[in-house]
Amino acid sequence: MERILLKIEKLKVKANEKEILKGVNFQIKEGEVLALLGPNASGKSTLCQAILGNPKYKITQGKIFLSGKEITKFPPEKRVKLGIALAWQAPPAIKGVKLSQLVKKISQPPTKNLVGDEIEEGKDLLEREVNVGFSGGEKKISELLQVIALNPKLAIFDEIDSGLDIKRLERISKIIKKELLDKKVSLLLITHWGQILNYLKPNLTSVMLDGKIICQAKNHKKVLKIIKKYGYEKCKKCPFLAG
Amino acid sequence: MRNAKSVHFWQVDHEVRNIFEVKGTVILSSPQAWQRFKWTKKFFEEKPKEGFFIWIKEQVNFPLATCFTIASPKIFQDLRNLLVIEKNLKIKLSGVCHTQKNNLAGRHLAKGKLILKEGSALEYNHFHYWGEKDFVLPDYQFILGKETSLIYNYRNLFPPENLQLVTTIFSGENSSSNLNLVINGKNTKVNLKETIFLEGKNSQGIVRLRLVGRKKTEIEAISKIFAKAPGKGHLDCQGLLIDKTAKISLIPQLICQNKEAQITHEASIGKTSEEELTYLRMKGLTEKEAIDLIVSGFLKI
Repeated sequence: MERILLKIEKLKVKANEKEILKGVNFQIKEGEVLALLGPNASGKSTLCQAILGNPKYKITQGKIFLSGKEITKFPPEKRVKLGIALAWQAPPAIKGVKLSQLVKKISQPPTKNLVGDEIEEGKDLLEREVNVGFSGGEKKISELLQVIALNPKLAIFDEIDSGLDIKRLERISKIIKKELLDKKVSLLLITHWGQILNYLKPNLTSVMLDGKIICQAKNHKKVLKIIKKYGYEKCKKCPFLAG
Repeated sequence: MRNAKSVHFWQVDHEVRNIFEVKGTVILSSPQAWQRFKWTKKFFEEKPKEGFFIWIKEQVNFPLATCFTIASPKIFQDLRNLLVIEKNLKIKLSGVCHTQKNNLAGRHLAKGKLILKEGSALEYNHFHYWGEKDFVLPDYQFILGKETSLIYNYRNLFPPENLQLVTTIFSGENSSSNLNLVINGKNTKVNLKETIFLEGKNSQGIVRLRLVGRKKTEIEAISKIFAKAPGKGHLDCQGLLIDKTAKISLIPQLICQNKEAQITHEASIGKTSEEELTYLRMKGLTEKEAIDLIVSGFLKI
């Protein structure tokens, strides 16, 4: 039987005194791919940040478990050490620090060969300063390299597909499949438009609206079709409604 | 020093431990130079007790190296250093001044003159490693002849209890100078005074400061460009405060005496960005590791 890797229970999260997550429940099993769709400002990125323990986001209620262990109050670095990695949607620039330096520092195990050397897109980026002057696509590659370097049990991608052309999206999806999915790493794919789901085929697809997961379905194509046809507002009334 | 034989001038406490002269150079202690070469007297001003004299007469295609070590308690080094580079030579110099132990309570006073003759170039990488009780006062003057080029990189990642660093550059016609000072302050009081005199037509000078204030640190930097001729100069002074007990004062000063000159400055002091810190922690680094990485990036010029 597949074991539960990540479990989120009744999670409520505030940022700048405003409640953003209003009671989120879900779980991801080992080796499973979960997609989370939602419009802008529905709370998707807040959920990622809260799972990783960003102190800017205050958990006011609820719990987070990783492999059965409660991690709700753990500092970010401890969560990463336990096996969660996040690819940021809008990562900050770190001046004067080369990407190769950062990747080397975070690599698990530390002796692991520098990722990026095998991934064509990463080679040039490694010699540049982290996110300094990176294009949108370069940031995605850089974040992906870092996630792979961390050798996680659970990889969270916050809109890795946004702003990518079809060719690059296909390439990134292939790398995720080869380096993570084929190695039984669980994935949480946060996506606004859902294009990446056609390549990475999630086991479950959820929709988040106004800080709550309002729908969960096995067939991502049907969910995407409804969203494309009626927009997110219609999700509340869709036939896959989780209740 | 790990490999003393590769050092061309090495002094430990008050004793010259090693002189390794290479073809085309004259390397002596400064008292010996005072005796042997009358012309050095105008640069030394008074009879020196200790220090180096390096006269480069022919092209040397590898970096020359000097080292001053304090190895015994309560040593007071009173150095007079003189470097002369003849016309059209391109030279690299690496200098290390350090203590062998953290608690020797030494004093290192170094007055130096570095003369670059017409068309010559110098890249000088100067490293300081001091102990918690040391008192260090380097005072270096660079005299740049016509069409010369100077890159002076001073890095002090282990500052003493008290550091007073004075650097003065006299720039001749069509000369260029880049002065890059990097100090990672911890339990220290630092006073910096950098001045570039743009004296020759079309001379250029840039000062870049990267100063980090950690625990119990007070840094004051007075950086000045004085344009007497139609030249260009820029001051780029940046401070990063890591600890609440640290204080950094940046005082950039521009003095212009020539209406054709262009001199500018930028100065800023800030703390580490919370977003960068959180980002790195969410990549698995501890808070200390994240700060160290951000600081290492900040100190890179």
